[in-house]
Amino acid sequence: MSRPVGWRSGDGALWLSTGAVALTLLMTLALLGLLAQAGFGHFWPKALATVTFPERQGTPPVLAELREQSAFANAEGELEPRWLLRTGNRDWAAPDFRWVPVQGLGTVHFDPHAVELERRSWGPALGLLAPPGVPQAERQGAAEAALTALEAALRVPPGEREGALTLFAADGQRQALPYRQIVRYWLPNAMGWNAKLGVYFARLGAFLHEPPREANTEGGIFPALFGTVLMVMLMTVIVTPIGVIAAVYLHEYAPQGMLTQTLRVAVNNLAGVPSIVYGVFGLGFFVYGVGHRMDQALFADALPAPTFGTPGLLWASLTLALLTLPVMIVATEEGLSRVPRQLREASLALGATRLETLRKIILPSALPAVLTGVILAVARGAGEVAPLMLVGVVKLAPELPLDGTFPYLHLERQFMHLGFHIYDLAFQSPNVEAARPLVYTSALLLVIMIVLLNLGAVVLRAHLRGRHRDPLG
Amino acid sequence: MRNEPPTLHFEPADRCLTVDRLSVRYQGKAALRDVSLTVPRHRVTAFIGPSGCGKSTLLRSFNRMNDLIRGVEVTGRIQLFEDDILAPELDVTALRRRVGMVFQQPNPFPMSVFDNVAYGLRLQGLREQRALEGEVEWALRSAALWDEVKDRLDASALTLSGGQQQRLVIARAIAVRPEVLLLDEPASALDPISTLKIEELIGKLAEQYSIVVVTHNMQQAARVSHYTAFLYLGELVEFSGTDDLFTRPQARQTEDYITGRYG
Amino acid sequence: MREHVSGQYDAELDELRAMVTEMGGLVERQLSAVCEGLATWNADPAEPVIALDKAVNRLEVRIDDACTHIIAKRQPTASDLRLVMSIVKAITDLERIGDETTRIAKMLETLCALPPLRDPLPELTEMMTRVQSMLADALNAFVRVDEARALDVITRDRSVDRAYQALVERLLGEMEAHPAQLRSYHNVIWCARSFERIGDHAKNVGEYIIYLARGQDVRHQGLGAPSDR
Repeated sequence: MSRPVGWRSGDGALWLSTGAVALTLLMTLALLGLLAQAGFGHFWPKALATVTFPERQGTPPVLAELREQSAFANAEGELEPRWLLRTGNRDWAAPDFRWVPVQGLGTVHFDPHAVELERRSWGPALGLLAPPGVPQAERQGAAEAALTALEAALRVPPGEREGALTLFAADGQRQALPYRQIVRYWLPNAMGWNAKLGVYFARLGAFLHEPPREANTEGGIFPALFGTVLMVMLMTVIVTPIGVIAAVYLHEYAPQGMLTQTLRVAVNNLAGVPSIVYGVFGLGFFVYGVGHRMDQALFADALPAPTFGTPGLLWASLTLALLTLPVMIVATEEGLSRVPRQLREASLALGATRLETLRKIILPSALPAVLTGVILAVARGAGEVAPLMLVGVVKLAPELPLDGTFPYLHLERQFMHLGFHIYDLAFQSPNVEAARPLVYTSALLLVIMIVLLNLGAVVLRAHLRGRHRDPLG
Repeated sequence: MRNEPPTLHFEPADRCLTVDRLSVRYQGKAALRDVSLTVPRHRVTAFIGPSGCGKSTLLRSFNRMNDLIRGVEVTGRIQLFEDDILAPELDVTALRRRVGMVFQQPNPFPMSVFDNVAYGLRLQGLREQRALEGEVEWALRSAALWDEVKDRLDASALTLSGGQQQRLVIARAIAVRPEVLLLDEPASALDPISTLKIEELIGKLAEQYSIVVVTHNMQQAARVSHYTAFLYLGELVEFSGTDDLFTRPQARQTEDYITGRYG
Repeated sequence: MREHVSGQYDAELDELRAMVTEMGGLVERQLSAVCEGLATWNADPAEPVIALDKAVNRLEVRIDDACTHIIAKRQPTASDLRLVMSIVKAITDLERIGDETTRIAKMLETLCALPPLRDPLPELTEMMTRVQSMLADALNAFVRVDEARALDVITRDRSVDRAYQALVERLLGEMEAHPAQLRSYHNVIWCARSFERIGDHAKNVGEYIIYLARGQDVRHQGLGAPSDR
């Protein structure tokens, strides 16, 4: 017998399936790689170059970060390389980003006294601590004096700071920058690796736990992160019991006939309904329907100002719970059907009622599957943006939905969401170039957050499974 | 008209389960037809017959496990001692505490050895740890498993071997001290040595329990039982002493089946 | 009877039956040879009879082995179990019959060296005829599991016993009347004794056939009415 060749040997199918897996893996890695590279790099202190423009008379040299290179079609229709320069100083030397043809560039020089400052408003400021064009020794002294004063000023709380820092532009112009505006500073051209890492983590930390500033292009994303996690948790708390109970009814109690089968198909189809439809439903049913009536019944004295009759955390969580309910039901039912019939029979044969059997045997055995459902629901829910825009998510929420004032959890409040935050940064930002790195960073964070939420559930599930695992399989 | 099958009659005091003209239909299909027999007290009675002969259906009628199946119709009468167990108003959970059952596949619950055996006791409301420990030990000893598991009562029952699991399941069933023990192919999933241990255990348990065992292993029925009933196509063909049934069966169908001429 | 699900098992049982038939045939040949020798006062058949006994013994061992194997491998039940058990027992009796014919054959050699008997012995002739037919019927009944014929064989053992008694009576008389032929008569009594034993063995085989057919042990008890089933 000769070995079969070609497609019939089965090698082709093997290659095909391996290829599919490889492609999937590659795409996932590419996604994560892009996000990681573009997102993580944002906080790294980058060198500031003093750029001159010898060909253009009257154009003064500027201090800028050489952000990226691309090509553009010039007046003659030829492609010409150009640099994107980030010059900062939006308030006095706008624009803060500019494209410069490479041909027009003269010398590029990295001044050790270049400083980048993070400010409370107007974005970053770039400048020199010492005036250009004076002897080196003199500059050194001036820079050191400026630094000492700056450090001393930053030790004082922002509100009580007096005075201003004098920044020199590359052409020697001076600009006074009040100390109270400054958040942090670094000297990217004069720093070692360790110092750069320090600045990096300080900025990353601030990003994670600070509220946004400057139309979300500055500051952190903490409210969005917090809102997302809180909303997902609320959704989980709502969807898990409802999903489990529904699945238990469908699988354990309902007569297995046409009606049940139809119900099952309906549930499965719900999973395929576009999420924006859920948003519309949530707005119409929860916000305007349930919420309005709740206001009339419970918060009548606050009317006409709505309490629950307006988009808020509760409605967002409920809408997402509804959205993820099919996933939850299907996963739980799958788990229930995997509980061996013998276990039910054994329990019933020992004189247990159906409820006792369900509670003591079936549900504990199906728990890993329930958690799988939770994982899938969380993954789906945390990534949803569209329906949330209708039922509670806002671009900027003044208050967190969880705080120290009674009743602590404010279900009626609107909240921020990482997914929406990304959308807002990417499409609604007045300053596209400034917002772009933040889009990547936020997206990366969203992915990491979902991974962490899932990982938690996976670990919990593995723990539950391992407790009574049959060592032989 | 069918002739009355050869059967056995027992003194009223020795009757544990009395089946009278029992018929069971699943969605209109007859699984048992007009079966009448008496399961004697404190003896091992075996039901043998080819697959689909109704032996498991008969066994599952004794603790109303057939109720779980949709579309089942039962007619006739089964008495457990004096009580009519097919009565609609009967508390099925109470019946199942009197009639324990062990299944073909060892089916310990995914919990510890101790909790497995204590399961039925806890269902009955026994909560006190000391009492539970005593009962669990008694049941495990009765099932000849105590010496093997006494040091790992807290280990998962799923870490036991197949034979140990099946004895654990027997211990779980007898922990609630039932009057009857139903064994549905108790050793068919086990290796020969574990099978012998189970058979040995059945012999010992017969001193205190009335045991009904369904098996497709005729040699096993011959080894463990005092009485054997042969069922074929839902009917009782022959019920007699095991020694008689295996050396000189009365009915031709029995003869063909036990000599391996069933085809 | 229907076939077993296992054709191999059927083949094994068939082979077993064939070996028993073969052994029965050998024993039958032994018996008829010595009967002919006695009737014609001729020692020629003696030697082949003694030689045949070796073959009979070998067959007994082979059948015994085959039965042990079937019990170990097939765990026969009901009629199969009864068949194997009857064969195990029947071949012992057949082997004994072989031994008795060998004994007669040896006796025949001594007897024919002596002067022939004065008078014919009709009882001996009757015994020989009856025993031969009993053995033949027993073997036939075995092959066909013929309960009626087996019962017949069992009842016929009585007449063999009676003929034996009568023969002994007559020989004792002859011994007194003709003391010169005492040796011959003494040998004839031994032969008659062997024929009587052969009759008993044939009866035993008959009893095993009843057990085989009915599952009822009729040894050492009344026969009872044959089952009308």
